[in-house]
Amino acid sequence: MPRLARSEWYDLTRDMNWTLSYVSDEDVWPQDLSNSYGIPTEKWWGWDEPYKITYPEYVHNQVGKDASVYSINAVLSRSRIFEELDPGWKSAILAHYGAIAVPEYLAGIGEARMGRFGRAAAWRNMATYGTLDETRHGQIQTYFPYGLLAKEPRADWAHKTMHTNEWGAIAARSLFDDMFTANDAVSTAIQLTFTFETGFTNLQFLGMAADAMKVGDVDFGALISSIQTDEARHSQQGEPTVKILIANGQGEVAQKLVDHMFWRSWHVFALLTGLSMDYYTPLEHRTHSFKEFMEELIVKQFMDQFRDFGLEVPWYWKEHFLPELDWYHHALHLGVWFWRPTVWWNPDAGVSPAEREWLEEKYPGWNDSFGQYWDVITANVRDGHPELTLPETFPTICNMCQIPLVNPAGFNAGRLAHPEPLIVDRDGRRLLFCSEPCKWVYEQNPARFAGQLSLVDRFLAGHIQPPTMEGALAYMSLSLAEMGQDATNYAWAFEKQLAVPGT
Amino acid sequence: MALFPVQGIFEHDFVVVLVPIDDEDPMTLVAEKIAHHTVGRRVAPQPRPMQVRHQGNTLAPDATVVSAGVAPMDVLQVSYT
Repeated sequence: MPRLARSEWYDLTRDMNWTLSYVSDEDVWPQDLSNSYGIPTEKWWGWDEPYKITYPEYVHNQVGKDASVYSINAVLSRSRIFEELDPGWKSAILAHYGAIAVPEYLAGIGEARMGRFGRAAAWRNMATYGTLDETRHGQIQTYFPYGLLAKEPRADWAHKTMHTNEWGAIAARSLFDDMFTANDAVSTAIQLTFTFETGFTNLQFLGMAADAMKVGDVDFGALISSIQTDEARHSQQGEPTVKILIANGQGEVAQKLVDHMFWRSWHVFALLTGLSMDYYTPLEHRTHSFKEFMEELIVKQFMDQFRDFGLEVPWYWKEHFLPELDWYHHALHLGVWFWRPTVWWNPDAGVSPAEREWLEEKYPGWNDSFGQYWDVITANVRDGHPELTLPETFPTICNMCQIPLVNPAGFNAGRLAHPEPLIVDRDGRRLLFCSEPCKWVYEQNPARFAGQLSLVDRFLAGHIQPPTMEGALAYMSLSLAEMGQDATNYAWAFEKQLAVPGT
Repeated sequence: MALFPVQGIFEHDFVVVLVPIDDEDPMTLVAEKIAHHTVGRRVAPQPRPMQVRHQGNTLAPDATVVSAGVAPMDVLQVSYT
Protein backbone atom coordinates (compact mmCIF):
# COMPACT_ATOMS: atom_id res chain seq x y z
CA MET A 1 0.00 0.00 0.00
CA PRO A 2 1.35 3.48 -0.81
CA ARG A 3 2.36 5.38 2.26
CA LEU A 4 2.47 8.78 0.60
CA ALA A 5 0.18 11.55 1.71
CA ARG A 6 -2.59 12.21 -0.82
CA SER A 7 -1.18 15.63 -1.71
CA GLU A 8 2.05 13.97 -2.81
CA TRP A 9 0.47 11.80 -5.51
CA TYR A 10 -2.98 13.20 -6.27
CA ASP A 11 -2.03 15.67 -9.01
CA LEU A 12 0.18 13.13 -10.76
CA THR A 13 -2.40 10.37 -10.88
CA ARG A 14 -5.43 12.43 -11.81
CA ASP A 15 -3.74 14.43 -14.58
CA MET A 16 -3.22 11.75 -17.21
CA ASN A 17 -3.39 14.16 -20.12
CA TRP A 18 -1.28 13.58 -23.21
CA THR A 19 -0.89 14.86 -26.74
CA LEU A 20 -2.63 12.67 -29.29
CA SER A 21 -0.59 11.44 -32.26
CA TYR A 22 -2.45 8.51 -33.84
CA VAL A 23 -5.88 10.17 -33.93
CA SER A 24 -7.16 13.72 -34.15
CA ASP A 25 -8.68 15.62 -31.27
CA GLU A 26 -11.95 15.78 -33.22
CA ASP A 27 -12.03 11.98 -33.38
CA VAL A 28 -11.61 11.72 -29.63
CA TRP A 29 -13.75 14.68 -28.62
CA PRO A 30 -16.32 15.18 -31.41
CA GLN A 31 -17.84 18.63 -31.19
CA ASP A 32 -21.38 17.32 -30.77
CA LEU A 33 -20.28 15.50 -27.64
CA SER A 34 -17.72 17.98 -26.34
CA ASN A 35 -17.78 21.48 -27.76
CA SER A 36 -14.41 23.09 -27.02
CA TYR A 37 -15.66 26.44 -28.34
CA GLY A 38 -12.34 26.73 -30.14
CA ILE A 39 -10.16 26.51 -27.04
CA PRO A 40 -6.97 24.51 -27.74
CA THR A 41 -6.62 21.12 -26.07
CA GLU A 42 -3.68 22.01 -23.81
CA LYS A 43 -5.55 25.02 -22.40
CA TRP A 44 -8.10 22.63 -20.92
CA TRP A 45 -5.39 20.84 -18.97
CA GLY A 46 -5.38 23.67 -16.43
CA TRP A 47 -8.87 22.53 -15.30
CA ASP A 48 -8.65 22.26 -11.52
CA GLU A 49 -11.48 21.09 -9.29
CA PRO A 50 -11.94 22.98 -6.02
CA TYR A 51 -12.98 19.87 -4.07
CA LYS A 52 -10.57 16.97 -4.34
CA ILE A 53 -11.30 13.36 -3.53
CA THR A 54 -9.75 9.99 -4.31
CA TYR A 55 -11.62 6.86 -5.28
CA PRO A 56 -11.00 5.06 -1.94
CA GLU A 57 -12.22 8.14 -0.10
CA TYR A 58 -15.23 8.38 -2.36
CA VAL A 59 -16.24 4.77 -1.81
CA HIS A 60 -15.69 5.04 1.93
CA ASN A 61 -17.89 8.15 2.15
CA GLN A 62 -20.65 6.79 -0.06
CA VAL A 63 -20.92 3.49 1.80
CA GLY A 64 -21.37 5.44 5.02
CA LYS A 65 -24.04 7.66 3.50
CA ASP A 66 -26.00 4.74 2.07
CA ALA A 67 -25.73 2.70 5.28
CA SER A 68 -27.07 5.64 7.24
CA VAL A 69 -29.94 6.69 5.03
CA TYR A 70 -31.17 3.19 4.15
CA SER A 71 -31.11 2.29 7.87
CA ILE A 72 -33.30 5.26 8.66
CA ASN A 73 -35.66 4.22 5.88
CA ALA A 74 -35.78 0.62 7.10
CA VAL A 75 -36.77 1.71 10.59
CA LEU A 76 -39.21 4.47 9.66
CA SER A 77 -40.99 2.42 7.01
CA ARG A 78 -42.40 0.34 9.89
CA SER A 79 -43.78 3.43 11.59
CA ARG A 80 -46.88 5.49 10.85
CA ILE A 81 -44.91 8.65 10.16
CA PHE A 82 -45.93 8.85 6.50
CA GLU A 83 -49.63 8.33 7.21
CA GLU A 84 -49.59 11.16 9.71
CA LEU A 85 -47.85 13.70 7.52
CA ASP A 86 -49.75 16.78 6.38
CA PRO A 87 -51.58 16.08 3.07
CA GLY A 88 -49.93 19.08 1.43
CA TRP A 89 -46.47 17.86 2.36
CA LYS A 90 -47.27 14.42 0.93
CA SER A 91 -48.21 16.18 -2.30
CA ALA A 92 -44.91 18.03 -2.30
CA ILE A 93 -42.84 14.88 -1.98
CA LEU A 94 -44.90 12.92 -4.53
CA ALA A 95 -44.46 15.77 -7.01
CA HIS A 96 -40.75 15.77 -6.21
CA TYR A 97 -40.29 12.03 -6.71
CA GLY A 98 -42.11 12.05 -10.05
CA ALA A 99 -40.19 15.00 -11.42
CA ILE A 100 -36.76 14.14 -10.05
CA ALA A 101 -36.15 10.41 -9.46
CA VAL A 102 -35.72 9.19 -13.05
CA PRO A 103 -34.07 12.44 -14.22
CA GLU A 104 -31.35 11.64 -11.67
CA TYR A 105 -30.57 8.54 -13.77
CA LEU A 106 -30.63 10.76 -16.86
CA ALA A 107 -28.21 13.13 -15.15
CA GLY A 108 -25.97 10.08 -14.84
CA ILE A 109 -25.87 10.04 -18.66
CA GLY A 110 -24.74 13.68 -18.65
CA GLU A 111 -22.11 12.97 -16.01
CA ALA A 112 -20.92 9.87 -17.91
CA ARG A 113 -20.60 11.99 -21.04
CA MET A 114 -18.38 14.39 -19.12
CA GLY A 115 -16.54 11.39 -17.67
CA ARG A 116 -15.65 10.31 -21.21
CA PHE A 117 -15.66 13.57 -23.19
CA GLY A 118 -14.57 16.10 -20.55
CA ARG A 119 -11.55 17.92 -21.93
CA ALA A 120 -9.18 17.30 -19.03
CA ALA A 121 -8.31 14.15 -17.10
CA ALA A 122 -9.02 15.83 -13.75
CA TRP A 123 -12.49 16.70 -15.01
CA ARG A 124 -13.16 13.19 -16.30
CA ASN A 125 -12.13 11.91 -12.88
CA MET A 126 -14.64 14.15 -11.10
CA ALA A 127 -17.38 13.34 -13.60
CA THR A 128 -16.89 9.62 -12.99
CA TYR A 129 -17.76 10.22 -9.35
CA GLY A 130 -20.66 12.34 -10.56
CA THR A 131 -21.92 9.42 -12.65
CA LEU A 132 -21.89 7.18 -9.59
CA ASP A 133 -23.58 9.93 -7.55
CA GLU A 134 -26.45 10.35 -9.97
CA THR A 135 -26.95 6.61 -10.25
CA ARG A 136 -27.18 6.47 -6.45
CA HIS A 137 -29.67 9.36 -6.46
CA GLY A 138 -31.81 7.60 -9.03
CA GLN A 139 -31.75 4.38 -7.03
CA ILE A 140 -32.48 5.93 -3.66
CA GLN A 141 -35.28 8.15 -4.97
CA THR A 142 -37.03 5.24 -6.62
CA TYR A 143 -36.43 2.88 -3.68
CA PHE A 144 -37.88 5.15 -1.00
CA PRO A 145 -41.18 5.77 -2.82
CA TYR A 146 -41.28 2.05 -3.71
CA GLY A 147 -41.47 1.46 0.03
CA LEU A 148 -44.48 3.78 0.21
CA LEU A 149 -46.57 1.94 -2.37
CA ALA A 150 -48.72 0.08 0.18
CA LYS A 151 -49.54 3.42 1.81
CA GLU A 152 -49.69 5.64 -1.27
CA PRO A 153 -50.11 4.03 -4.71
CA ARG A 154 -49.27 7.32 -6.45
CA ALA A 155 -45.68 6.83 -5.26
CA ASP A 156 -45.52 4.61 -8.36
CA TRP A 157 -45.11 7.83 -10.31
CA ALA A 158 -41.56 8.16 -9.01
CA HIS A 159 -40.70 5.64 -11.70
CA LYS A 160 -43.65 6.11 -14.03
CA THR A 161 -43.73 9.86 -14.68
CA MET A 162 -40.86 10.18 -17.11
CA HIS A 163 -42.21 7.28 -19.15
CA THR A 164 -45.49 9.08 -19.79
CA ASN A 165 -46.77 12.03 -21.80
CA GLU A 166 -48.14 13.75 -18.71
CA TRP A 167 -47.69 17.49 -19.36
CA GLY A 168 -45.34 18.09 -16.42
CA ALA A 169 -43.27 15.14 -17.57
CA ILE A 170 -43.05 16.67 -21.06
CA ALA A 171 -41.87 19.96 -19.51
CA ALA A 172 -39.32 18.23 -17.28
CA ARG A 173 -37.99 16.03 -20.10
CA SER A 174 -37.68 19.05 -22.37
CA LEU A 175 -35.61 20.84 -19.74
CA PHE A 176 -33.44 17.92 -18.73
CA ASP A 177 -32.82 16.71 -22.29
CA ASP A 178 -31.66 20.22 -23.18
CA MET A 179 -29.56 20.49 -20.02
CA PHE A 180 -27.78 17.13 -19.93
CA THR A 181 -29.28 14.11 -21.69
CA ALA A 182 -28.73 15.67 -25.13
CA ASN A 183 -26.02 18.21 -24.33
CA ASP A 184 -22.30 18.24 -25.03
CA ALA A 185 -19.85 17.82 -22.15
CA VAL A 186 -18.63 21.43 -21.95
CA SER A 187 -22.12 22.92 -22.12
CA THR A 188 -23.34 20.36 -19.58
CA ALA A 189 -20.73 21.51 -17.09
CA ILE A 190 -21.95 25.10 -17.42
CA GLN A 191 -25.67 24.37 -17.64
CA LEU A 192 -26.15 21.38 -15.33
CA THR A 193 -23.46 21.76 -12.71
CA PHE A 194 -22.80 25.52 -12.65
CA THR A 195 -26.28 26.86 -13.36
CA PHE A 196 -28.78 24.25 -12.23
CA GLU A 197 -27.01 22.40 -9.42
CA THR A 198 -24.88 25.13 -7.88
CA GLY A 199 -27.50 27.76 -8.54
CA PHE A 200 -30.77 26.03 -7.78
CA THR A 201 -30.86 22.47 -6.49
CA ASN A 202 -28.02 22.67 -4.00
CA LEU A 203 -29.79 25.41 -2.07
CA GLN A 204 -33.20 23.90 -2.69
CA PHE A 205 -32.14 20.56 -1.24
CA LEU A 206 -30.78 22.27 1.87
CA GLY A 207 -34.10 24.08 2.30
CA MET A 208 -36.19 20.97 1.60
CA ALA A 209 -34.20 18.88 4.06
CA ALA A 210 -34.76 21.49 6.78
CA ASP A 211 -38.47 21.74 5.95
CA ALA A 212 -38.81 17.93 5.96
CA MET A 213 -37.38 17.74 9.46
CA LYS A 214 -39.72 20.49 10.65
CA VAL A 215 -42.82 18.71 9.37
CA GLY A 216 -41.59 15.43 10.87
CA ASP A 217 -40.67 13.69 7.61
CA VAL A 218 -37.34 12.38 8.88
CA ASP A 219 -37.17 9.81 6.07
CA PHE A 220 -37.34 12.36 3.27
CA GLY A 221 -35.12 14.81 5.18
CA ALA A 222 -32.39 12.20 5.55
CA LEU A 223 -32.71 11.26 1.87
CA ILE A 224 -32.43 14.82 0.63
CA SER A 225 -29.52 15.67 2.95
CA SER A 226 -27.65 12.62 1.74
CA ILE A 227 -28.14 13.59 -1.90
CA GLN A 228 -27.19 17.19 -1.24
CA THR A 229 -23.74 16.21 0.04
CA ASP A 230 -23.01 14.60 -3.35
CA GLU A 231 -24.43 17.57 -5.24
CA ALA A 232 -22.22 19.96 -3.31
CA ARG A 233 -19.17 18.08 -4.61
CA HIS A 234 -19.97 17.23 -8.21
CA SER A 235 -21.65 20.57 -8.93
CA GLN A 236 -18.19 22.10 -8.67
CA GLN A 237 -17.31 20.87 -12.13
CA GLY A 238 -18.92 24.01 -13.46
CA GLU A 239 -16.63 26.54 -11.84
CA PRO A 240 -13.31 25.45 -13.42
CA THR A 241 -15.06 25.04 -16.78
CA VAL A 242 -16.40 28.59 -16.62
CA LYS A 243 -12.95 29.83 -15.64
CA ILE A 244 -11.32 28.19 -18.66
CA LEU A 245 -13.91 29.59 -21.06
CA ILE A 246 -13.45 33.10 -19.66
CA ALA A 247 -9.64 32.90 -19.50
CA ASN A 248 -9.58 31.90 -23.16
CA GLY A 249 -11.79 34.63 -24.51
CA GLN A 250 -15.05 32.67 -24.51
CA GLY A 251 -16.80 34.56 -21.74
CA GLU A 252 -19.68 35.36 -24.08
CA VAL A 253 -20.23 31.66 -24.67
CA ALA A 254 -20.35 31.00 -20.92
CA GLN A 255 -22.69 33.94 -20.46
CA LYS A 256 -25.08 32.70 -23.13
CA LEU A 257 -25.09 29.15 -21.75
CA VAL A 258 -25.87 30.47 -18.25
CA ASP A 259 -28.54 32.92 -19.49
CA HIS A 260 -30.21 30.14 -21.46
CA MET A 261 -30.29 27.57 -18.67
CA PHE A 262 -31.00 29.92 -15.78
CA TRP A 263 -34.25 30.93 -17.44
CA ARG A 264 -35.33 27.39 -18.28
CA SER A 265 -34.44 26.17 -14.80
CA TRP A 266 -36.31 29.06 -13.20
CA HIS A 267 -39.58 28.13 -14.88
CA VAL A 268 -39.55 24.49 -13.84
CA PHE A 269 -38.23 25.48 -10.40
CA ALA A 270 -41.17 27.87 -9.95
CA LEU A 271 -43.54 25.07 -10.92
CA LEU A 272 -42.14 22.54 -8.45
CA THR A 273 -40.62 24.49 -5.60
CA GLY A 274 -42.83 27.58 -5.77
CA LEU A 275 -45.96 25.51 -5.22
CA SER A 276 -44.37 23.39 -2.50
CA MET A 277 -43.05 26.31 -0.46
CA ASP A 278 -46.00 28.71 -0.66
CA TYR A 279 -48.97 26.35 -0.82
CA TYR A 280 -48.11 22.73 0.09
CA THR A 281 -45.87 23.17 3.15
CA PRO A 282 -48.02 23.47 6.29
CA LEU A 283 -48.36 27.11 7.28
CA GLU A 284 -46.86 26.65 10.73
CA HIS A 285 -43.69 25.18 9.22
CA ARG A 286 -43.02 27.81 6.58
CA THR A 287 -39.91 29.85 7.28
CA HIS A 288 -39.45 31.68 3.98
CA SER A 289 -41.90 32.54 1.29
CA PHE A 290 -40.77 31.28 -2.12
CA LYS A 291 -39.97 34.85 -3.12
CA GLU A 292 -37.86 35.38 0.00
CA PHE A 293 -36.06 32.08 -0.64
CA MET A 294 -35.37 33.15 -4.22
CA GLU A 295 -34.19 36.64 -3.28
CA GLU A 296 -32.17 35.77 -0.18
CA LEU A 297 -30.53 32.58 -1.42
CA ILE A 298 -30.82 31.86 -5.15
CA VAL A 299 -30.60 35.43 -6.46
CA LYS A 300 -27.92 36.43 -3.97
CA GLN A 301 -25.78 33.42 -4.81
CA PHE A 302 -26.11 34.04 -8.54
CA MET A 303 -25.23 37.70 -8.08
CA ASP A 304 -22.11 36.65 -6.13
CA GLN A 305 -21.21 34.13 -8.84
CA PHE A 306 -21.71 36.63 -11.63
CA ARG A 307 -19.48 39.11 -9.81
CA ASP A 308 -16.80 36.54 -8.89
CA PHE A 309 -16.50 35.22 -12.44
CA GLY A 310 -16.89 38.49 -14.28
CA LEU A 311 -20.19 37.47 -15.85
CA GLU A 312 -23.07 39.89 -16.33
CA VAL A 313 -26.52 39.34 -14.91
CA PRO A 314 -28.67 37.82 -17.69
CA TRP A 315 -30.18 40.37 -20.08
CA TYR A 316 -33.71 39.56 -18.88
CA TRP A 317 -32.92 39.89 -15.16
CA LYS A 318 -34.66 43.17 -14.23
CA GLU A 319 -37.32 43.35 -16.90
CA HIS A 320 -38.51 39.76 -16.92
CA PHE A 321 -37.06 37.57 -14.16
CA LEU A 322 -37.42 39.69 -11.01
CA PRO A 323 -41.03 40.73 -11.78
CA GLU A 324 -41.99 37.05 -12.22
CA LEU A 325 -41.04 36.39 -8.58
CA ASP A 326 -44.22 38.23 -7.61
CA TRP A 327 -46.75 36.35 -9.69
CA TYR A 328 -45.59 33.47 -11.88
CA HIS A 329 -45.73 30.58 -9.38
CA HIS A 330 -49.05 31.83 -7.97
CA ALA A 331 -50.54 31.51 -11.44
CA LEU A 332 -49.00 28.07 -11.94
CA HIS A 333 -50.39 26.96 -8.60
CA LEU A 334 -53.89 28.06 -9.56
CA GLY A 335 -53.50 26.27 -12.89
CA VAL A 336 -52.20 23.05 -11.36
CA TRP A 337 -55.01 23.05 -8.81
CA PHE A 338 -57.72 23.77 -11.40
CA TRP A 339 -56.31 21.19 -13.82
CA ARG A 340 -55.62 18.78 -10.92
CA PRO A 341 -56.79 15.65 -12.80
CA THR A 342 -53.74 16.17 -15.04
CA VAL A 343 -51.13 15.71 -12.30
CA TRP A 344 -50.07 12.65 -10.30
CA TRP A 345 -50.29 14.25 -6.87
CA ASN A 346 -53.15 15.81 -4.92
CA PRO A 347 -52.68 19.58 -5.13
CA ASP A 348 -53.24 21.37 -1.85
CA ALA A 349 -55.19 24.57 -2.53
CA GLY A 350 -53.45 26.24 0.41
CA VAL A 351 -55.94 29.13 0.51
CA SER A 352 -57.66 28.80 3.88
CA PRO A 353 -58.32 32.19 5.53
CA ALA A 354 -55.09 31.95 7.57
CA GLU A 355 -53.08 30.94 4.52
CA ARG A 356 -54.55 33.79 2.49
CA GLU A 357 -53.51 36.19 5.22
CA TRP A 358 -49.97 34.83 5.00
CA LEU A 359 -49.97 35.13 1.22
CA GLU A 360 -51.17 38.74 1.42
CA GLU A 361 -48.44 39.53 3.96
CA LYS A 362 -45.71 37.94 1.84
CA TYR A 363 -47.07 39.14 -1.50
CA PRO A 364 -48.90 42.44 -0.92
CA GLY A 365 -51.76 42.63 -3.41
CA TRP A 366 -52.19 38.83 -3.63
CA ASN A 367 -55.85 39.09 -2.57
CA ASP A 368 -56.62 41.59 -5.31
CA SER A 369 -54.77 39.75 -8.04
CA PHE A 370 -55.12 36.05 -7.13
CA GLY A 371 -57.62 36.01 -4.28
CA GLN A 372 -60.42 36.98 -6.66
CA TYR A 373 -60.09 33.70 -8.59
CA TRP A 374 -60.11 31.71 -5.37
CA ASP A 375 -63.20 33.64 -4.18
CA VAL A 376 -65.17 32.31 -7.16
CA ILE A 377 -63.73 28.82 -6.70
CA THR A 378 -64.49 28.84 -2.96
CA ALA A 379 -68.09 29.88 -3.62
CA ASN A 380 -68.50 27.03 -6.12
CA VAL A 381 -67.16 24.51 -3.61
CA ARG A 382 -69.40 25.82 -0.82
CA ASP A 383 -72.43 25.86 -3.12
CA GLY A 384 -71.91 22.23 -4.06
CA HIS A 385 -70.67 22.80 -7.61
CA PRO A 386 -67.30 21.04 -7.71
CA GLU A 387 -67.80 20.46 -11.44
CA LEU A 388 -67.23 24.19 -11.94
CA THR A 389 -63.79 23.81 -10.35
CA LEU A 390 -62.66 21.32 -12.98
CA PRO A 391 -61.44 21.93 -16.54
CA GLU A 392 -63.27 21.22 -19.79
CA THR A 393 -60.44 22.28 -22.07
CA PHE A 394 -56.67 22.79 -22.03
CA PRO A 395 -54.59 25.84 -21.46
CA THR A 396 -52.34 26.67 -24.39
CA ILE A 397 -48.67 25.91 -23.77
CA CYS A 398 -45.31 27.60 -24.30
CA ASN A 399 -43.29 25.95 -27.06
CA MET A 400 -40.07 26.47 -25.12
CA CYS A 401 -40.68 25.69 -21.44
CA GLN A 402 -43.73 23.48 -22.20
CA ILE A 403 -45.58 25.10 -19.30
CA PRO A 404 -49.13 26.47 -19.70
CA LEU A 405 -49.47 30.10 -20.71
CA VAL A 406 -50.50 32.13 -17.69
CA ASN A 407 -49.59 35.52 -19.17
CA PRO A 408 -53.01 37.03 -18.32
CA ALA A 409 -52.20 36.56 -14.60
CA GLY A 410 -48.99 38.57 -15.03
CA PHE A 411 -50.93 41.26 -16.86
CA ASN A 412 -53.64 41.38 -14.19
CA ALA A 413 -50.96 41.63 -11.49
CA GLY A 414 -49.47 44.63 -13.29
CA ARG A 415 -46.23 42.85 -14.17
CA LEU A 416 -46.74 42.29 -17.91
CA ALA A 417 -47.62 44.85 -20.55
CA HIS A 418 -50.21 42.64 -22.23
CA PRO A 419 -52.01 39.34 -21.54
CA GLU A 420 -51.31 37.63 -24.89
CA PRO A 421 -48.53 35.10 -25.43
CA LEU A 422 -45.83 35.87 -27.98
CA ILE A 423 -46.59 34.32 -31.36
CA VAL A 424 -44.03 33.41 -33.99
CA ASP A 425 -45.06 31.87 -37.31
CA ARG A 426 -42.10 29.85 -38.57
CA ASP A 427 -41.90 27.26 -41.35
CA GLY A 428 -45.66 26.87 -41.52
CA ARG A 429 -45.98 26.33 -37.79
CA ARG A 430 -47.40 28.65 -35.16
CA LEU A 431 -45.17 28.82 -32.09
CA LEU A 432 -46.36 30.23 -28.78
CA PHE A 433 -44.06 31.62 -26.12
CA CYS A 434 -44.80 32.70 -22.58
CA SER A 435 -42.04 35.29 -22.46
CA GLU A 436 -39.27 37.07 -24.32
CA PRO A 437 -36.59 34.89 -22.67
CA CYS A 438 -38.33 31.64 -23.73
CA LYS A 439 -38.62 33.02 -27.26
CA TRP A 440 -34.95 34.04 -27.13
CA VAL A 441 -33.83 30.58 -26.01
CA TYR A 442 -35.80 28.97 -28.84
CA GLU A 443 -34.47 31.36 -31.45
CA GLN A 444 -30.86 30.79 -30.39
CA ASN A 445 -31.12 27.33 -31.89
CA PRO A 446 -34.46 26.64 -33.62
CA ALA A 447 -33.26 23.34 -35.13
CA ARG A 448 -32.61 22.00 -31.63
CA PHE A 449 -36.14 22.67 -30.43
CA ALA A 450 -38.31 22.46 -33.56
CA GLY A 451 -39.00 18.76 -33.10
CA GLN A 452 -40.61 19.26 -29.71
CA LEU A 453 -44.39 19.20 -29.73
CA SER A 454 -46.28 20.65 -26.81
CA LEU A 455 -49.29 18.79 -25.52
CA VAL A 456 -51.52 21.25 -27.42
CA ASP A 457 -49.49 20.69 -30.63
CA ARG A 458 -50.08 16.96 -30.18
CA PHE A 459 -53.78 17.52 -29.59
CA LEU A 460 -54.14 19.62 -32.74
CA ALA A 461 -52.05 17.14 -34.76
CA GLY A 462 -54.46 14.33 -33.87
CA HIS A 463 -52.08 12.40 -31.64
CA ILE A 464 -54.62 12.44 -28.82
CA GLN A 465 -57.69 10.30 -29.47
CA PRO A 466 -60.45 10.84 -28.76
CA PRO A 467 -59.73 14.61 -28.84
CA THR A 468 -61.37 15.25 -25.49
CA MET A 469 -60.28 15.84 -21.90
CA GLU A 470 -60.82 12.13 -21.26
CA GLY A 471 -58.69 11.26 -24.29
CA ALA A 472 -55.98 13.62 -23.09
CA LEU A 473 -55.97 12.16 -19.58
CA ALA A 474 -55.59 8.68 -21.05
CA TYR A 475 -52.79 10.00 -23.32
CA MET A 476 -51.08 11.25 -20.15
CA SER A 477 -51.43 7.73 -18.62
CA LEU A 478 -53.65 9.02 -15.83
CA SER A 479 -56.32 6.58 -14.68
CA LEU A 480 -59.20 7.74 -12.53
CA ALA A 481 -57.46 6.47 -9.38
CA GLU A 482 -54.26 8.34 -10.23
CA MET A 483 -55.68 11.74 -11.17
CA GLY A 484 -55.01 14.45 -8.66
CA GLN A 485 -57.78 15.52 -6.31
CA ASP A 486 -57.95 18.34 -3.80
CA ALA A 487 -55.49 17.31 -1.07
CA THR A 488 -57.81 18.07 1.86
CA ASN A 489 -61.15 17.33 0.23
CA TYR A 490 -61.90 21.09 0.16
CA ALA A 491 -61.59 21.58 3.94
CA TRP A 492 -59.96 24.98 3.29
CA ALA A 493 -63.14 26.27 1.61
CA PHE A 494 -65.18 25.78 4.77
CA GLU A 495 -62.75 27.23 7.29
CA LYS A 496 -63.98 30.44 8.81
CA GLN A 497 -61.97 33.59 9.29
CA LEU A 498 -61.10 33.85 12.98
CA ALA A 499 -62.61 36.89 14.65
CA VAL A 500 -60.03 39.41 15.77
CA PRO A 501 -60.32 39.89 19.57
CA GLY A 502 -61.76 43.26 20.55
CA THR A 503 -63.49 43.89 17.24
CA MET B 1 -68.67 24.69 -41.22
CA ALA B 2 -65.40 23.53 -39.75
CA LEU B 3 -63.93 23.22 -36.31
CA PHE B 4 -61.45 25.93 -35.68
CA PRO B 5 -59.07 26.18 -32.66
CA VAL B 6 -58.42 29.59 -31.13
CA GLN B 7 -56.71 30.84 -28.01
CA GLY B 8 -59.20 32.48 -25.71
CA ILE B 9 -58.47 35.03 -23.02
CA PHE B 10 -61.35 36.23 -20.91
CA GLU B 11 -60.71 39.59 -19.29
CA HIS B 12 -59.44 39.20 -15.70
CA ASP B 13 -58.88 35.44 -16.05
CA PHE B 14 -55.36 34.11 -15.41
CA VAL B 15 -54.76 31.71 -18.25
CA VAL B 16 -54.97 31.34 -22.04
CA VAL B 17 -57.34 28.53 -23.00
CA LEU B 18 -57.69 26.43 -26.12
CA VAL B 19 -61.23 26.77 -27.42
CA PRO B 20 -62.70 24.93 -30.40
CA ILE B 21 -65.14 27.14 -32.30
CA ASP B 22 -66.76 26.91 -35.70
CA ASP B 23 -65.60 29.10 -38.56
CA GLU B 24 -69.19 30.20 -39.16
CA ASP B 25 -69.79 31.17 -35.52
CA PRO B 26 -70.78 34.82 -34.99
CA MET B 27 -68.80 36.67 -32.34
CA THR B 28 -71.68 36.53 -29.86
CA LEU B 29 -71.37 32.75 -29.90
CA VAL B 30 -67.56 32.83 -29.89
CA ALA B 31 -67.70 35.00 -26.76
CA GLU B 32 -70.00 32.50 -25.07
CA LYS B 33 -67.79 29.57 -26.00
CA ILE B 34 -64.70 31.24 -24.53
CA ALA B 35 -66.59 32.51 -21.47
CA HIS B 36 -67.81 28.97 -20.79
CA HIS B 37 -64.31 28.02 -19.60
CA THR B 38 -63.88 31.05 -17.36
CA VAL B 39 -67.04 32.82 -16.21
CA GLY B 40 -68.53 31.30 -13.08
CA ARG B 41 -65.38 29.21 -12.70
CA ARG B 42 -62.69 31.78 -11.92
CA VAL B 43 -64.28 35.08 -12.94
CA ALA B 44 -67.57 36.24 -11.47
CA PRO B 45 -70.39 36.65 -14.02
CA GLN B 46 -71.75 40.09 -14.82
CA PRO B 47 -75.16 40.95 -16.33
CA ARG B 48 -73.67 42.66 -19.36
CA PRO B 49 -73.11 41.68 -22.98
CA MET B 50 -69.70 40.50 -24.08
CA GLN B 51 -67.44 41.62 -26.90
CA VAL B 52 -64.56 40.00 -28.76
CA ARG B 53 -61.30 41.68 -29.65
CA HIS B 54 -58.84 40.41 -32.24
CA GLN B 55 -55.45 42.01 -32.78
CA GLY B 56 -56.59 45.15 -31.00
CA ASN B 57 -59.86 45.54 -32.91
CA THR B 58 -63.30 44.97 -31.44
CA LEU B 59 -65.23 42.70 -33.78
CA ALA B 60 -68.86 43.27 -34.72
CA PRO B 61 -71.24 40.92 -32.85
CA ASP B 62 -72.49 39.42 -36.12
CA ALA B 63 -69.05 39.04 -37.72
CA THR B 64 -68.08 35.41 -38.21
CA VAL B 65 -64.69 33.86 -37.64
CA VAL B 66 -64.14 33.71 -41.40
CA SER B 67 -65.42 37.20 -42.20
CA ALA B 68 -63.30 38.72 -39.42
CA GLY B 69 -60.14 37.11 -40.81
CA VAL B 70 -59.32 35.14 -37.68
CA ALA B 71 -56.60 32.52 -38.27
CA PRO B 72 -56.31 29.21 -36.39
CA MET B 73 -54.74 29.66 -32.95
CA ASP B 74 -55.14 33.44 -33.08
CA VAL B 75 -55.83 35.06 -29.74
CA LEU B 76 -59.39 36.27 -29.14
CA GLN B 77 -59.92 38.41 -26.07
CA VAL B 78 -63.38 38.51 -24.57
CA SER B 79 -64.62 41.09 -22.10
CA TYR B 80 -67.82 42.55 -20.80
CA THR B 81 -68.84 45.72 -22.63
